[in-house]
Amino acid sequence: MAGVRSDRGEAPPPLLNKGGESPGSIPVNAITQPHAVVLYKLNARTKRKTSGIWVTSREAFWIALETLRTHKLRSFLTLLGVVIATTTLIVVMSIINGMNLYIADHIANLGANVFIVSKMSWATTGEDWLKAQRRNKPIRIEDFEFLRDDVKGYKNIGAETGTEGDVKYKSHILHEVQVGGETSNMIDIGQAKVETGRYLNDTDYAHESMVCFIGQDLVSEFFPTVDPIGKDITVLGVPFRVIGVAARIGSTLGFSQDKFVQIPLTSFRKVFSARPELDIDVQAWNAQQMMMLEDSVRALMRARHHIPYKEDDDFGINASETVMGLWHQLTASIFAVTIGIVAVFMVVGGIVIMNIMLASVTERTHEIGIRKSLGARRRDILMQFVIEASVMALTGGAAGVLIALLISKLVSIVFTSSVPLSAVLVGLFLSTAVGLFFGIYPASKAANLEPIEALRTEA
Amino acid sequence: MGTQLVSSSTPELALPVQVMIKTENLWKTYDMGEAIAVHALSGVTFEIDRGEYVAIMGPSGSGKSTLMNLIGCLDTPTSGRYWLNGRLVSELSDDELAYIRNKEIGFVFQTFNLLSRASALHNVELPLVYSGIPAKERLQRAQEALSKVDLVERMNHKPNELSGGQRQRVAIARALVNDPSIILADEPTGNLDSATGEEIMGVFERLYEVGNTIVLVTHEHDIAAHAHRIIHVRDGKIERDESVK
Repeated sequence: MAGVRSDRGEAPPPLLNKGGESPGSIPVNAITQPHAVVLYKLNARTKRKTSGIWVTSREAFWIALETLRTHKLRSFLTLLGVVIATTTLIVVMSIINGMNLYIADHIANLGANVFIVSKMSWATTGEDWLKAQRRNKPIRIEDFEFLRDDVKGYKNIGAETGTEGDVKYKSHILHEVQVGGETSNMIDIGQAKVETGRYLNDTDYAHESMVCFIGQDLVSEFFPTVDPIGKDITVLGVPFRVIGVAARIGSTLGFSQDKFVQIPLTSFRKVFSARPELDIDVQAWNAQQMMMLEDSVRALMRARHHIPYKEDDDFGINASETVMGLWHQLTASIFAVTIGIVAVFMVVGGIVIMNIMLASVTERTHEIGIRKSLGARRRDILMQFVIEASVMALTGGAAGVLIALLISKLVSIVFTSSVPLSAVLVGLFLSTAVGLFFGIYPASKAANLEPIEALRTEA
Repeated sequence: MGTQLVSSSTPELALPVQVMIKTENLWKTYDMGEAIAVHALSGVTFEIDRGEYVAIMGPSGSGKSTLMNLIGCLDTPTSGRYWLNGRLVSELSDDELAYIRNKEIGFVFQTFNLLSRASALHNVELPLVYSGIPAKERLQRAQEALSKVDLVERMNHKPNELSGGQRQRVAIARALVNDPSIILADEPTGNLDSATGEEIMGVFERLYEVGNTIVLVTHEHDIAAHAHRIIHVRDGKIERDESVK
């Protein structure tokens, strides 16, 4: 600013505290200090550039909160879409996450370095499954003996079969108990660990002994106060003597893993079924050996079943990775569907927000006029409404997060659910982004109002 | 934007320093379609010096409101030039005009134009918000402005809890808070009874005495009589420019 000719380069003095001055005298702030006034104001303007956005954003933020507070019902209805979207997103992500943890913990943990040879591959679905169901041959005791004798280098090889039925002790009865016929080395391969007594041993196996190893659910049902060892229970109508109790395993996806009776496979064959369908559990020494062992088992089984080299296996080889692969395939499709649903909700929610913001702009045209007359620029008004829409949407997102946390808590009681932090962040970010995006059009409408037109509008 | 403002003020340096407002052949034409043009202002030229107390008078439809909007930088002229405090403001962009309104002009409206949901204090703070002034300083300056109109003790009341006279005093405090170059009052007593109107005019008188430049737009002779100079507007032209007192 050229032409500064003030004697005193200071800001203009306050206006009203020199009341004694007569109207006739030259006012201090007018003629004597004109350019000092301009300079002072230009300085203020530079300041506005740096701190201005912060100041006006804070103003906008408070306006937004005030609007939410005064229009509770309207805000609630407006935000329903965003709330539902965020809740859906987080709940689904939480359940998937919870199941991931579960699977990592339980299902996938067959035992260290174990794979299972069975009739069906776990990873088969749809038509392939139906085809395999018809074509594949059940695994029999001969297959087990063949693999046990011919495969080299395994740490353990065991076999098990199973059925389900009632178990009785005196007048107590327990339904749907897993009854397993096991080889004596399954204690080293499977999940169960001995808590008291002992596991089925080679002698029991060889002599087809009528003994059993039971899970914790049976203990709490039949022997809450007495030692179960040595008691006789009736399994599918046949008496067995309890020789050992397993440590508690817990439940997987809501199903108890402790509701079982294990008897020697030989006894199972003698009493229940002479030629049961088996699962063969092969345990390798280490993870590196797994692949090799799987390959040699596959080769031997194919040779035994006379399968030409072009055809698929007529049996399944299942490892933790098989389950995980299947599971990831499933979650991917659940995820895709969820993303679609959430996107639809978010867009609908965003359009509702846009609609309400447009109404709000019309309703507050006079206020916008006042603000403009007091020096609000386009971008101040733009920011006010964009921030209002974003804060509104963020509030909806936060409400969605809270509801999702609650639902997740409830779900985890009967099923499994664990809220990942990333889901919460994504939910909050997404809802804010929706508010921002759908707030821009109403906000630019507000920002582009002509000050006089807006002022003229009746409040 | 800042450089534009500075450069646009260059032609003004030729103006005598005591001139606060200078208009040169201001036209405002509304195009009503079908090639019918309505001239709200047809060539208005006048000057107002610093520290003057001027009333712009005229019947309704005379163009005085249009003139006020132009002086207040709420609107831009169809043609002609307008300098405010040494700056050629008739050629500024919207945001630059917003800046001028914020820094140079204090509005007092007939209908008060206070934000009904905000307290008196916050209403007074608003121009400072748009100046980007931090909260602490805003509070202090807003309280200062309210004390000038004797309303400090009511500063936390909302406009609907205040009387008409008090509301107008809040509006005056808001007009003063950013130390504007001119105070522009549009029928400031139009919605008040005559006793309260007199009280408000007393406030303007005091503001004038301490050196503020005041432009009052009214159609009432008694109100205009408070000013020291009256510009009569009729049919978009200056009819008479008289000095009172």
